Amino acid sequence: MPMHGFLGRLADVLARQLLSWLHRRVEPGSREWLDALTAESECADDGWQRLRWALGGVPLVWTINQRRQTNEPARGTMRALIVPGVANIAAIAGWYAVIIPATYGATHLLRCHLSFGNQPGGCQEHPFVFGSIAIGGAVLGMISALAVRARFAAYWWAVFAAFNTVGSVWYLRSGIVDLPRYGATQSAMLMAATCGVVLAAIMRESAGAPASFLSRHCITALLIAGTISFAMADSLIRMRDRLLVADNVNHYVVLGSAMFAAILAGLIGRHESRLSAKGPL
Amino acid sequence: MAKTTYVEYVMPRLPNTSPQTLSVLALLLESPRSWHYGYALSQVTGLKSGTLYPILLRLADQGWLETRWAEPEQPGRPPRHTYRLTGAGARAARTKLAEAAPLRMTRRLAAVPGSR
Repeated sequence: MPMHGFLGRLADVLARQLLSWLHRRVEPGSREWLDALTAESECADDGWQRLRWALGGVPLVWTINQRRQTNEPARGTMRALIVPGVANIAAIAGWYAVIIPATYGATHLLRCHLSFGNQPGGCQEHPFVFGSIAIGGAVLGMISALAVRARFAAYWWAVFAAFNTVGSVWYLRSGIVDLPRYGATQSAMLMAATCGVVLAAIMRESAGAPASFLSRHCITALLIAGTISFAMADSLIRMRDRLLVADNVNHYVVLGSAMFAAILAGLIGRHESRLSAKGPL
Repeated sequence: MAKTTYVEYVMPRLPNTSPQTLSVLALLLESPRSWHYGYALSQVTGLKSGTLYPILLRLADQGWLETRWAEPEQPGRPPRHTYRLTGAGARAARTKLAEAAPLRMTRRLAAVPGSR
């Protein structure tokens, strides 16, 4: 079949391009295992098989880079802390500097009120515009942060993207959301969830160390459990004088974000615990 | 896929006890002195390359696995990476597989209808 042949060749080209791209993502001194995987890709019978084989290079490169970072002796030095710290702050602040003017620009262009608030003529009249800014901005922020290897900022924007997505869906469903009223509480919860993920990302277990109360996994689990418990308790208090689901939708957005943060932190924890597991045989 | 409990999350499970790692170890143990290719290991164990290579990398890091670049069988092909268990790796693999055998038997029995 000519079409099948064309698609097979396309898959073959994609596989080679992917392997070549992955090669550039690994430092020259750490390429042995990726070279091994690349050499074996020549055994694949057709393009599709080669593409499937090459896709396995993505988790391998992640593993190689994680291992390299774990073994870096200079991680605790001031320079090793300052450079990523500056990159992370720049990635967060820089993207706020894009999103905030974009929000105000859209407000001015559409002749409506500020993006947050439920006043007539406010942003609820243009939910898609403001939703796109909020979600697209956060996703782009995450991609930019990954590009400059600012992992803290990447997780920050990932949680924000999830928050904004769930928030926008609820916003479209229910119309009016009283964000300013509950904003401070929700922001505090969101920050706690974000901190949980970020802690999971930056703290490292020493190889073979027994799990203690102050271990990364424990701190992350406790922090996220605390956030979710706080959100639950807050919901119960508010149930006394108003309908929970109808009038408190943003609360669930935060809860959803905290859950998302917990899953993300769990995935990071699982992956890194496998890498750092170098205990006795 | 095995579920992760809170206990496993807080206290990561012991290294080299996942079913995938055990299947690689079992295969390497079948002929511990022979060199094995990654592609063949993947074909026999059914593991995808993205699962197999991180396992091999970790085993090599722990000193369980010996690696070597072999000359290609066909001209124009790149050299191939080959693997075999070290002495310590073979001993440790036998221990791990023996420890895991009762657990695997229990899982297999649980999967048989009417076994409980």
